[in-house]
Amino acid sequence: MVNIMKFHDWLKDDSKIVLFDGGMGSEIFKRGIKPGKLPDMLNIENPKIIYEIHKAYYDAGADMCQSNTFGASFLNLQTYKVENQIREINKQALESIKKACPPNRLIVADIGPSGEFRPPVGKATPDQWVSSFTKQANHLADGVDLWHIETMSDIEEMSAAIEAIKSISEKPIISSMTYKKTKRGFYTIMGDSLEKCIRIQENAGVDVIGANCTLGSDEMVDLIKELKKITDRPLSAKPNAGQPRIDSNNRAYYDQPIKDFVSDIREIIQLGAKVIGGCCGTSPDTIGEIRKVIDSL
Amino acid sequence: MAQNQFYKEISDAIVNLEKEKAIELANRAVNENMNLLDVIEKGYGDGIRRIGNLWEEGEFFLPELMLGGTIMQESMDILLPKLKSSGENIALGTIVIATIEGDIHSIGKTIVGTMLSANGFEVYDLGADIPAEHIIDTAIEKNADVIGVSALLTTTMFGQKKIIDILENKGIRNKFKVIIGGAPVTKSWTEECKADGFASSAVEAVKLVKELLNK
Repeated sequence: MVNIMKFHDWLKDDSKIVLFDGGMGSEIFKRGIKPGKLPDMLNIENPKIIYEIHKAYYDAGADMCQSNTFGASFLNLQTYKVENQIREINKQALESIKKACPPNRLIVADIGPSGEFRPPVGKATPDQWVSSFTKQANHLADGVDLWHIETMSDIEEMSAAIEAIKSISEKPIISSMTYKKTKRGFYTIMGDSLEKCIRIQENAGVDVIGANCTLGSDEMVDLIKELKKITDRPLSAKPNAGQPRIDSNNRAYYDQPIKDFVSDIREIIQLGAKVIGGCCGTSPDTIGEIRKVIDSL
Repeated sequence: MAQNQFYKEISDAIVNLEKEKAIELANRAVNENMNLLDVIEKGYGDGIRRIGNLWEEGEFFLPELMLGGTIMQESMDILLPKLKSSGENIALGTIVIATIEGDIHSIGKTIVGTMLSANGFEVYDLGADIPAEHIIDTAIEKNADVIGVSALLTTTMFGQKKIIDILENKGIRNKFKVIIGGAPVTKSWTEECKADGFASSAVEAVKLVKELLNK
C-alpha cells in the first residue's frame, strides 16, 4: 500500500520526473540469447541474467523497473507452446526483480501485446484478450507496485488489457501505445488516431498515458508535442535508440549516440512528460545519463 | 467506354472494400465472356494499386490492407480457373515466402504474401519458423523467381544471410532474386548479406518484386 501511494505522490509532485528503465530485450540479446527463444523463459532458465539487468537499471538510477514479462500473456505463451508454465514464468520474473529492487524504488508489472490480432488481420476476440491478460495479471498482482501495459498497436487490445487488470487490481496503470508516423500524423498500425487512443485511455481511467517503441527519440519529441495538446493526463515516453544495425557477428546493435538520445529526452521532459525511459537499444548507460539530466533540472 | 465504366466499378469495389460487389462483378465478367486479362489488370489490379497508394498516404492501415487483399484473392479464385482453362497464364512470377527458422512471427510475412498474390503473383507461403534448406528446396521445386525471407527478431536475421550463403555454395544464387523483410531489416543489412532488395511494408514489397522481375 505504501508503494502505491508513492507512485501517486510522484504524480502529484510537479518537480518529480519519474525515471523508468530502458530496453530489456536488447540487453538480453547482448548476453547471447539463442535465436527464436522467448526472452521470458529466461526467468526460469537463467534468472541471474534477468536479475543483473534489473540491478544495472536500478543502479543507474531508475526510480522503477519493469518485470521481464512482456511476452508472458497466455496467448503469447501459447504461440510458443509453453502456456502451461504461465505461473512459473511470471512468478520467477517477480522473484528476480524483487531481489534487484532497492528500498524506496518501485516494481512495475510489464504487460505486452498478445501477438494475436483481431479480424481481418488475425482471429483474436476481445474476450480472448481479456482472458489472456487476466491469467497473466493474476500471477503478478500481489508482487508489483503498478502496471505498464505497453507496445500495443491496437487500441481495442489495449482496452482489453486495461479491463483485465482493473478487474483484479486497484494499482496504478500506465498505458502505452506504439505509433507510427504517417503523412497524416501519428497512427497505430491498425489505424487508430492519437485522438481516439487518448480518449479511450482517458475513459478507461488509467493514471498515465504513454507511447513507446517504434519511434526513435527525435520522432518521440514530435509525438509528445501532439499528446500535450490533446490530454491533461500525465505522459510517459519510452522511445527506441534509433533503428537497429547488425555487426559482423550477426548481432544487433543501436548506434545512436547516447548524447543525442538524452538531448531529445531533455526536450521531452521540458515539453512536460512525467515518466521517462527507453525502449529497444537503450541500456543502463542511457538511463544513467538521463538520471544526470533529471538531477540537474 | 461502357467497358471502362465496368473496370472502374470493379476498382471502386476493391477500394471501398465491398466484398460482395467485387465477387459479383467477377462472376459477371466470367459469365459474359469478357476479356479477363483486362478485367484483372484494369479493374482488380487498379483497385489493389489504389489501396497501396492509400496505405502510403496514411489513409489506409493494416485492416484495410488485409481486407482488400483477401477480397482481391477471392475474386481471383473466380477469374483464374476460367483464364487457365482458356490457356492463359497470367501469373507475373512465382514467389516462395517464409519466416526464417527460429522466428515464429508470421503476420508481416502473411500480409506480404497476400498482397503479392493480390497483385498477380503465384505465392507459396511456407509459414513461420522454416529452416533455410526447406525454403530453398521449395524454391527449386516450384521453379520460383523470387525467395522472400522474413525475420522479426534481430537474433534471427542472420538466417536471411544463411539463405544467400547456401544458394552461393550450391552455385544457384543467380537462379533466384532474394528479398528480405521484417522490422529490424535495413538497407545496410540488405547490402551486407547481398540480398537483392528489402521492403519495409507489403506495398513496398510488391513494388520491389515488380522492379526485380521487370514487370
